[in-house]
Amino acid sequence: MEFKFSEKEEKLRGDIRKFAKEELPPDWIGLGLTEESRDEDWEYAMSIAKKLSQRGWLTMAWPKEYGGRGASPWEQLVYNEEVGYWGIPGTMMGASGVAWVGPSLILFGSEEQKRKYLPIIASGEPDGVWCTGYSEPDAGSDFANIQCRAVKKGGKYVINGQKIWTSCAHRAKWCWLAARTKFNIDKKHHGISLFIVDMKSPGITVNPLMNYAGHHIFNEVFFDDVRVPASNLVGEEGRGWYHLMQALVHERGGTAPMGVGSLRRLLDELVQYVKETQHEGKPLSQNPIIRQKLADRAIELETLRMFACETTWKMSQGVIVVYEPSRDKAFGSQALERLAITGTEILGAYSQVDPDSRWAKIKGSIQHIYLLFPGASIAGGTDDIERNIIGQFRLGLPRSY
Amino acid sequence: MMDFGLSEGQEMLRASAADFLRTECPKSRVRELEEDDRGYDPGLWHKIAEEMGWMGLVLPEKYGGVGGDFMDLAILLEEMGRNIVPGPFFSTVVLCALPILKYGTDEQKERFLPKVASGEQIWSLALTEASATYEASGIELRASLEQEGYLLTGIKFLVPYAHVADHLLVVARTSEAREGVSIFLVDGKSPGIKIEVIPTMARDKMCEVNFNKVRVSKDNILGKIDQGWDIVDFILQRAIVLKCAEVLGACEAVMQMTNTYVKDRVQFDRPIGSYQALQHRMVDRFIDVEGLRYLVYKAAWEVSTGSASSLHISMAKAKANEVYQRTCIDCIKNHGAIGFTADQDIGLYYRRVKTAEFSLGDSDFHRERVAVGLGL
Repeated sequence: MEFKFSEKEEKLRGDIRKFAKEELPPDWIGLGLTEESRDEDWEYAMSIAKKLSQRGWLTMAWPKEYGGRGASPWEQLVYNEEVGYWGIPGTMMGASGVAWVGPSLILFGSEEQKRKYLPIIASGEPDGVWCTGYSEPDAGSDFANIQCRAVKKGGKYVINGQKIWTSCAHRAKWCWLAARTKFNIDKKHHGISLFIVDMKSPGITVNPLMNYAGHHIFNEVFFDDVRVPASNLVGEEGRGWYHLMQALVHERGGTAPMGVGSLRRLLDELVQYVKETQHEGKPLSQNPIIRQKLADRAIELETLRMFACETTWKMSQGVIVVYEPSRDKAFGSQALERLAITGTEILGAYSQVDPDSRWAKIKGSIQHIYLLFPGASIAGGTDDIERNIIGQFRLGLPRSY
Repeated sequence: MMDFGLSEGQEMLRASAADFLRTECPKSRVRELEEDDRGYDPGLWHKIAEEMGWMGLVLPEKYGGVGGDFMDLAILLEEMGRNIVPGPFFSTVVLCALPILKYGTDEQKERFLPKVASGEQIWSLALTEASATYEASGIELRASLEQEGYLLTGIKFLVPYAHVADHLLVVARTSEAREGVSIFLVDGKSPGIKIEVIPTMARDKMCEVNFNKVRVSKDNILGKIDQGWDIVDFILQRAIVLKCAEVLGACEAVMQMTNTYVKDRVQFDRPIGSYQALQHRMVDRFIDVEGLRYLVYKAAWEVSTGSASSLHISMAKAKANEVYQRTCIDCIKNHGAIGFTADQDIGLYYRRVKTAEFSLGDSDFHRERVAVGLGL
């Protein structure tokens, strides 16, 4: 057993801190910002993505020949933790490409696909931005129920259907699309295939869906006779479900370390705030109720950190992780929820003011996170779906649905 | 680089402990010992000492031990906790042998440690008093200087297995300063000691020990006079981590038996574990226990490598308190009515929750220490 990071990993941590101090505005707290909503925020995020790419950090764990630098899972964890802590924008470029499209292509893409798509993502250019077409109006948690069809005609697939909750579709150059290639079969998770679709293709319509915070994160995407070259099929036709489950593990696995970083920052900011804020002549930090609550949040954070590390350890040992990312995600979204709520309780009435207004405390971070956390607990598999996965695959309990 | 794996030696220790306890300390034995006045099984005690070498697991060879490290002890206590082994192992080895090894004079170590390793002596720590807390201010039992030694007068509360202890480590006030306490090595049969077993929910043997002018010679002080609180801190650090390891093992056992039950029990023509109301409760508790495991291992590893962190130790104990209780309650609910019966083992674990929770600092106490660790 050993529970500390190597010197190499700690040096990387230091380098990222230095980068954040040098490249970001002095009072920057990027927690819970939605960079894909406003044009100026998106452009700023992409300018930082370019700089991260130049340092070799954006896709550090990928093999060298595809634009990475073969970093270890531990370096990747430290990087994710630090970018979460400093709220470095642009690290995910809309998430899909960096977080799971790239890793999926490395796992089951053709050599041609790897050479064509991976270096663009790794370069931090707008052409490396992806969205993901999984959910449909009648296929949310019941993802295998997707109806979007891809029918092979000559050398092309013709795609018809609708996707929804498609984050970043309005910024993306490519869509990582799941569509049905076999119909009327017994098991509905058979017959699904994955495709790379150029978002500029004729027949694609993107409609914005505003979230309750007034931000434009996700969209509806309509496919009307969209033609995709057969070479854009990823992996085996009909085995998309299995490919996708592997990809989801990446989606869930990478978010925990970043969550650890963001939670650590929020906690640090709250600790600072209660020390500096007076109530009846005493700092809030002397209030035993606040001390107890912050201690609980710190314990949750440390637990999440151990989960993230344990999952990374297993992956570094070549273990195929199955339930671990689900555990990390379910626990992480709970930890985020509790910290956000504790934050609002500490800010009191100030937690209701607009995060961008001059009355906002801690640069509106608490409000941003408070507005964001219910979404975070749903994206990439709801907490209850994660519990189903753990129940079935770790505890061996039968499913009832 | 981080490594969550056990070494080969640690795996062997775990497996041999698990095998031994499964056969030598089944739940039927635990139930018998709840009704036994001594509260432990001398036959098992000697097997543990002689065949397994557990009393001397972390003692050096020159005192009859095998020179293992603290992490080994944590792994062993996880297994003992899994089987809720009744007896004075924790008090003898963790609460007393560890501080004697660290702070004792050569003479004291030679006099006592080989007898601990061989299983000849049972020890306990007389620390808490009427306040039942772990603050130095709670120590009122007084040691007053006489010509050739000290006289101890006062009452200790919740001293585990004092009624069978050959010796006690007694924390006594020797100065008015808040932490002005000293630790004495006291023969359990000394004149002036009166011991009463306190009936508890766990039916373990917690005792009230009354000291009435108990005479102790000067060479039976552990460490330096008036500086005993440093030793108490040393004991608490280690004991808290190991208590957490015990709790972890107990939680794992409760999860295991409940998971088996909800797979087997059929209602509405399906195993009840397929219903999400129960399944998600199992999963939430599973996540809790996993979290506890890594907090405990990390705290234990840090102690083992000489980099003990009181922040991480307190995090582990606050978590252990919460997780043990929640796991037992939810798992009893998942059993349904049968979980409420004496025949099921789960009740044995549930009745031990409060002992573990209030031993070595409750959740408020440890959260406050975490707050201090955060810079609050």
